Order: sequence, then structure tokens, then C-alpha cells
Amino acid sequence: MPVIKFFAIYCGKLNLENLKLNFGEIKLSRLTLLLTVLFTLTLMLTLMLTLSVSAGEVTPSIKSNVKSSIQSNEQAEHWQNIESGGRNQAVFFHAWGGDPQINSYIRWVAQQVKAKYNITLQQVKLTDTSEAVSRVLAEKSANNNSQGSVDLVWINGANFAAMAEHSLLLKNWANKLPNFALTDPDNNPTVTLDFGVPTQGMESPWGQASLSFYYDQLATTNPPQTLDELLAWSQKNPGRFSYPKPPDFLGISFLKYALVVLHQQSDERIKAQLYMPATHSVTQPETSPAASAVTSPAALNNRDLILQPLWDFLDEFHPHLWRKGEYFMQSGVEMRRLVDDTELSLAFTFSAPEVPAAVKRYDLPPSIRSYAMRDGSLSNTHFVGIPYNASHQQSAQLVANFLLSPAAQAYKQQANVWGDRSVLVHAILTKEQQALFQTEQAHPSALAVNSIKMTLSEPHPSWVKAIADGWQARYGVSQ
Amino acid sequence: MSQINSTVVTRNTEQALAQPTDWFTVLVKLSPKLLLLLLVVPVFGGLIGVILPAFGWAPVLNQYNIGLQAFTALWQTAGIGQMIMLSATTGFISTFVAFVITLMILAAFFNSVWLARIQQILSPILVIPHAAAAIAVGFLIAPSGMLARLISPWLTGWDFAPHGIFPHDPYGLSIIVGLTLKELPFLLLMALGALAQPELGKKLRQQHKVALNLGYCPMTAFFKVILPSLYPLLRLPLLAVLAYASSSVEMPLILGPNTPPTLAVAIMHWFNDVDLNLRLKASAGALLQLVVTGGILALWLLAEKAIRAFFSDSLTNGKREYGGAYFQKLTSVITLLVVIFISLALVGLVMWSVAGFWRFPALLPDTLTLLHWQSAVMQMGTPLINTLVIGAITTLLAIILTLLCLESEQMRGKKVSGFISFILYMPLLVPSIAFLFGLVLVQQLAQQSLAELSHQSSNVKTVYINYINVIITHLLFVLPYVFLSLSSSYRQLDQRFAIVAASLGAKPSKVFFKVKLPQLFSAILIAVALGLAISFGQYLPTLLAGGGRISTISTEAVTLANGASRRTSAVYALMQMLLPLLGFILAWLLPKFIYKSAQR
Repeated sequence: MPVIKFFAIYCGKLNLENLKLNFGEIKLSRLTLLLTVLFTLTLMLTLMLTLSVSAGEVTPSIKSNVKSSIQSNEQAEHWQNIESGGRNQAVFFHAWGGDPQINSYIRWVAQQVKAKYNITLQQVKLTDTSEAVSRVLAEKSANNNSQGSVDLVWINGANFAAMAEHSLLLKNWANKLPNFALTDPDNNPTVTLDFGVPTQGMESPWGQASLSFYYDQLATTNPPQTLDELLAWSQKNPGRFSYPKPPDFLGISFLKYALVVLHQQSDERIKAQLYMPATHSVTQPETSPAASAVTSPAALNNRDLILQPLWDFLDEFHPHLWRKGEYFMQSGVEMRRLVDDTELSLAFTFSAPEVPAAVKRYDLPPSIRSYAMRDGSLSNTHFVGIPYNASHQQSAQLVANFLLSPAAQAYKQQANVWGDRSVLVHAILTKEQQALFQTEQAHPSALAVNSIKMTLSEPHPSWVKAIADGWQARYGVSQ
Repeated sequence: MSQINSTVVTRNTEQALAQPTDWFTVLVKLSPKLLLLLLVVPVFGGLIGVILPAFGWAPVLNQYNIGLQAFTALWQTAGIGQMIMLSATTGFISTFVAFVITLMILAAFFNSVWLARIQQILSPILVIPHAAAAIAVGFLIAPSGMLARLISPWLTGWDFAPHGIFPHDPYGLSIIVGLTLKELPFLLLMALGALAQPELGKKLRQQHKVALNLGYCPMTAFFKVILPSLYPLLRLPLLAVLAYASSSVEMPLILGPNTPPTLAVAIMHWFNDVDLNLRLKASAGALLQLVVTGGILALWLLAEKAIRAFFSDSLTNGKREYGGAYFQKLTSVITLLVVIFISLALVGLVMWSVAGFWRFPALLPDTLTLLHWQSAVMQMGTPLINTLVIGAITTLLAIILTLLCLESEQMRGKKVSGFISFILYMPLLVPSIAFLFGLVLVQQLAQQSLAELSHQSSNVKTVYINYINVIITHLLFVLPYVFLSLSSSYRQLDQRFAIVAASLGAKPSKVFFKVKLPQLFSAILIAVALGLAISFGQYLPTLLAGGGRISTISTEAVTLANGASRRTSAVYALMQMLLPLLGFILAWLLPKFIYKSAQR
């Protein structure tokens, strides 16, 4: 087999030589550059400070003024570099492409950045964001550290945690975007925490979402308002409600909503565990979670302690679900289709505006009404990130900054465009900028303004895996 | 890429060296090597990219512990036994049922005009992408589906969709229905393609007539006279169908259960999971899938042997009648049911593509609208061009390479080596999801080394490289089918024509172009149509090899089927059907037209 031999040589050469070459050269040169820059900056700062001190009395406020003006100068220069370097290029934006409304909003963004920076923004439509994670990972494994195919990725939660853990994201850029200040990051933790994990400038906030419910008016007139009522309602209307199979994002979101609500009356110490990493000591016998939860200290093994109420609830809940809880739909959109088929009478979504939009497109019957649960709505922020090996990092930052601009955020919030909640803090904006956010007449199927009375924050992202694994072990295989 | 370049170079140099023989002979002699190269590098690269992680070696994940941890994790997965059983039974039963129906249709309608008519009715199914077909079938059998709407509420009193188990039933019946409907036209087309060879077809038809004259019932005559000659030509298509059915992803994803799903679907989920360490388990699962698929193939071959041993005597026992009239009626009923089922699915698809509000249990949509077509067509330009260009180039390459290889086989007077045949069918035996992930890794390695060699990297070039990657990957799936559909016909060609032509002084190239190709005209056209259909239908290869940057009608359709309404997916499914349908209509019409004009 001469061919195989050739292939082996080819592969071997690539693997060994290139791996070394790239790591050695690129990493080293970057490090050198960074060190040089740091050194120069420190030198300049020390020089200036010494000068100002030697000039005589300097009050602390002046000192800090000098410092901040240096900083803002640097920032301006940093941004000018990006603005000049990022023009006239292509940006491959990897974003979930299952919603026509969102896709057409991204097309609008593409037109805007084309006019503004001559950037050609191309959306790579994903069916699941983890595809982009896989791609960057594959590139890293192929030692492609500077010519990645993903320039910008729409991301949050577990995908972000995975990318951050494997160092697949560019660091410390989002906090330097000029428009980032409009989110009031110092007083607004929702833009710097992604499911409780600090973003460290690896991703720039794009929008906010909350879990809201919708029902078919012809099938039920009084939909459940709390988790308890949902159980009672399901017993009265068997087979008319279900949730997408974990690890689907929406299915997990429903389980997190249930989990947080089930712990609303719990002890504060136990509740606090929801916002810490899920832990599980392997030595515990997995077959008797209830027994081990009672005996072991919470800090060592909080997983079973926290999740047991959820499993108890689901054990009671599942027999009344669609297909008796023996089969679950794959996605939120399939759930929406089942509502249209009248198989389900009640469903939920993380993007409330998609409901009236679907009615307008005939994808849901006109008898659909939206509402939010009285015992709280799970809420989170979604972001855009730049992979560490993106080919067009500067252009991607220009796009991210545009996505944060009041014009783009206001347009996105319009119900007939996308209806995604803005991440900008209203009070910080100027009068003209605030005027962009005027609302219009609502669709009968739309979620009424201010119907979300109480928001529930997302548990620590490690709970996603804990819930998904536990769910899979208990309900993943029907008998 | 560099491999191709190097082969081109070697080809040129060898051409210069081999002065006495003509260019055609050189090309033909080199073609098996080229074929091998085009298949070996991606296939082995892809396999290595799967095998290494399966045994614990994945540098990206910082996993260097060679061992069986991934397999241990795999065995501890809840419901792994059910997954394997589901994959095996759905694959085996659907192929068996499709094969039996194919034989019954062939037997009952052999030498009748109805055969062509049935083929024309069924062939659209072949070109519907699996995802779209699954959605159409799912809509028919769902509790709110067309069948339920036909009898509601006047008979059942259902004002809301009833509770039911289809689709997604735990026994995999929905998957079997969907797969059978997709495999049936493929097998029928393969059988008819073999029978369409002038020489073999004529011989068999005459033998069939002789049997009829000897008093055999038409169906008995088919099973005793035609089938023994026909089956060897059908064996490889059957095995490919079997392998595909046991490892496909789209059908079980849309029609199958998910507690647990089939093995292939589970592997796909593990590969796509945010927990990157699951990649190891997925790789181990991919190898398990290989074993499962191999096991079913072995089972089929065993069953084949058993049947041959058991029935060989009855071939010559002289019995004329086995209740043929009864079976003929049964076949008609089954055929009618299949056709009605497919028609309802197609009508449903068309109606969904123009439906306004359409609440259960209404049989027809309340309002009709062109909104879905308008919004879809507006976004279809680039994907459509990509689909056509990639399909055309891939199919052209596949046809040329296949013909040259088959010609070299005849020149050397022996079949291509077992190694090449094995390699050729590898892409059909390895679950594409697992195999492709490894392949993408190899392509990126090659791309990067190329960029380093040439010291330049522009975006335009990346896009071209993506196109080439997609075409190479498509070739992996198109080549085997084209080879399958052409090789049997080519090998059955009557050698005497070529010998006579050569003895009259015709050069090998002239014999090839003037004697062999015209005889193969209809077979080639069917292979072209098939190649196009296969290329048009590829989803995962396009997505992975193209880096998601090359959108075709297929990638758009599956993305939308996962994330959009039935109405939009109906539009895309219909678009996907229309494209290859044109190819098949041409493949059916052209030979008739040309032979007619030749007879005058």
C-alpha cells in the first residue's frame, strides 16, 4: 500500500512539525509583543506620575484624573486601531438560524455594517450552537490558531462555559467596546455574568430573555399561574402539556424554572447552593440519592440534595404529560408545532415575541394567548463571543459594538422585528436615544408589557449538566 | 489537494514516458489509482479521527490515556441495549420489507406497462430528502395527521387531536414505515436499471416468455427464471441500503422514539453535546455502530445462503403454480396502498406549503397563501446555485472515474481488487456523522499545510477550498452509488461487440466511446440522475466539510425543518424534490426518445 504509506508520512509530518512550529513561533511572538506593550505602558505611567509628583503638590483627584485621561486616551486609540483595521472585511457570524425573524434582523444588521464599515457580515445558520463550539475545537485540534472560520458566535450558558473552560474565546475585548458603557456594567451584573459565570470580557451582551407561557384559548380558559397549578391543570387535562427533551435548551429551562420554584420555600442555605457549582462525590451510592442527601454535608454533595424535590415533582407530573411522559419532543419549535396541531394546549417559550410572529405567519392559531407565571419567570442574558482564533477579530468587534448601539438594540426590541429585550440601561441613554425605544400597538397573542412580575435568576451553569444527567438516568429510558 | 496535484503531475510525466500507447489507455490504467487515492485518504483519515479518540487519545481534550474507558462509559449508558436493538431491527426489517415488496411488484408486473408506471409514481420518493420524507410521513400518521383528519370529527367525534403513539412509537414502527417507503423506489430503480441493459434485459424477457409458454404462472416464472439472474446485481445495492438504514440519522430523529433513540442518533447527540468529553464515548459508539451494521450485513448474507440452500431444489421441481393469482391481487392491493400513502403525503406536503390557518380536524386549510413560497424563494438564490454546481461537478467526476475504472477492469481482464471494492463501500458502511468529524479534521490539516506552503491566505481561497472539500466529501457518497448502479451494467456488457470492433482495427478509445458507451446510455443517465439526487440530498457532509459556509437547499431545509414551521419545510422539501426529479425524468425520457429516432 504505497498510498497508505504516503498518507501516514503526510499526516505524521503535519502533526509533528507543524504543531511545534505553530506553538513555538506564534505563542512566543505574541507573548513578546504583549510583554513589550506592558513594559512600555508601565514605563510611561511611572514617568508621568514621577513628573507630576515632582512638579509639586498633587491632589488625589487630579492624580486619578490624569490616570483616567491616560486610560481613556488609550481606549480611544485602541478603538481607533480596531476601527481602521476592521474595515472592509468579512465577518462569519455563527448564530442559531431556526427563526426567520431573527435571521432577517441579522440581515438588517449586515446592511448596516456594510454601509458603516464596509463589513460583509454573513450569518452561518446553526441548528445548535454547540456546532460552532465543535468547529472551533476541531480547528484547535488541527492546530489552526489564527485562521479560524468562526469570527463571531451567538452564545450563552453552558456553551459559553464549555468554550471558556477550553480557552476557545478571545479574552478582555467586550469590556472595551465603546457602547458597552451604555449597559452600566458597574451596577448591572446581568451583562457581566453569564448564568453566574463572570464573562471577563470574553463576550458582549446582546439581549435578554425570559420564560413565558402561551395557551390555546379554545382548549383551556384558565391556564395555570403557578407550578402547583400546572400539576393540577395537567391532571385535569391529561396529555396536553409537555416539555422538550433535555438537554434541549428550552426543556432544561423549564426544569430549572421548576427547580427554582420548588426551592422558593427552602432554607436560605440550601437555596444558595443553586448559585454555586453542583457537586457530587462519587463515593456516594447513586442508587439511593435520598438517603445519601440526608447523611452527607451539603457542601460536599449538594447535587442530590438540591435535585431530589425536582425528581419527586416529575415523578408525579410525568404520567399526565403528552404521550404519558414516555416520549418528549426534540425542541421548542416542535412543541409550537404540536400546539398548532392541537395536540398540546399549553406551551412555553424563551422568546415571547415569537408567539405573535408565529400567529402572523399562520404557524399558530389566532386563539393563542401569552402570559407569564405568577411564581416567577426564569431570565437570562445572551451574548456574542469571538473565538481565540477568529480570522477577523477586529471586524467582529466592530459588529459586536454595533449590536450594542441604541439604534440596533431599539430596532431589535420592536415586536414586529424580533422583540428581544434590550440590554442597555434606559436611564443612561440620552433623550434622543430613549426616543428610539417607543413601543407600538400590541398583537392580541403577544405578551402584555410588564406582565413579568418576578424574575428568577438562572442557577449556576453546572446545574444544567447535573439536571440533564439525572434526567437521562431517571427518564431517559422508558420501560 | 496536494495529492490531486501530485497525481496530475505523475499522470503527465507518465504520459510523456509512455509514448507508444495512446493517452486514453494511460488514463484508463491510472484511474483505479486515482479512485483509490480519492477514497483512501478521506476514509482512512476520517476513521483514524474516530478510532484514536475511541481508545482515549484526544490531544484537544487533554486525553492521552490509551485504554478502554470510552467503551466502559458506552456500556454503562442507560438503554444501550435498546439502542442497538432499535437500530438493528429497524434497519433489517425495513430493508427486508422493501425488498419483498420490490420483488412482488417486479414479479406481478414483469413485462407489463404497469411496471414503468409504478416506477414513475414511486421515483419521486427517491429524490425527496430523508428529512422531508420523514416529516411528510410523520404528518400522515400523527394524531393530528391526514389519516385522522379524514375520519374526524364525523366518525370519531375528535375536536382536538387524539392521543396516539405515532410517530415516535417506542417499537420503531414509524421509522420502519419511513425507511421502507424510501428504500422501495431505490431498490426498484436498481432492479430496473439492471433490467434496462439491452443484452441482459432482452435475454431475461425471452426466458420469461419461454417459461410462460411452458405453463408457468407469471409470478412463478419471475421467481424461478428472472430472480436467480437478477439477484446478484441487486446484492450490493441491498447491502448499502441495509447499512444506511441501520445507521441513518434523519429518519429516526424525526420519526423515532427518543427514550432511548437509535444508536446513530445517540452518537450524533454525544458528538454535539456541549460536554466535549462525550466525544470519546461518541467515537466508541461510532465503532460500535460499525459492529452493529456489520452484524446485520452478515445476518443478511447468512439468510441469503440459507434461502439459497433451502429453495434451490424447488427451482427445478417443475411446479408451475403457487397461488399466483392470489399473490398477484395481494401485490396490487399493497402497491395501491403504497401509492395512496405516498400520494396523501405528497398532497399534504403541497397543501402545507400554501396553507394559511389549518386547525384540526379540518381536511383542507381554511385559507391559502403564497406567503411561505414568497419568503422562501427570496432567500433561495445562493443555496440553489451551490446545490446545482456542487451536484453537477461531483456527479461528472464520479461518472468519468467510474467509467474509466470499469474500462480498466475490462482491459486487464479481471475485476478491480477486493481492496478497492472494500474501500469503495466504506463511506456507505461507516455512520457518516462519526466518519465525517474525523474527515473534517484531516481536511483542515491539509488546508492549513497548504496555506503554510503557499505563504498566503485570502478569504476567496478559503471559500474555494471549502467548495473543493465539499465536492470531495460528496464524492465519497456519490461514487459508491454511481459505481453500484453502473458496474453491474458495465460488467454484463457483451464483450463480443468490443472484440469485433477491436479486430476491425478500432483503437481502445474508439471502442469505448463508439461501442460501449452507446450501449450503456440509459444506465449512465440513470446513474447521473442518481448521483445528482444523492449529492442534492447530502446534509451532514455539506455542513461539516463546507464549514457551514456553503449553504445548499439541503442544509437550509434541514435547518428549517429543525427550527421552523411545517409550512416552510414543506416549501423546501418540494423544492428539493423538483431539482432531482428533472434529472430522473430526463433519464427516463431520453433513451426512449433516442432509440425511437434510431429505429426510424
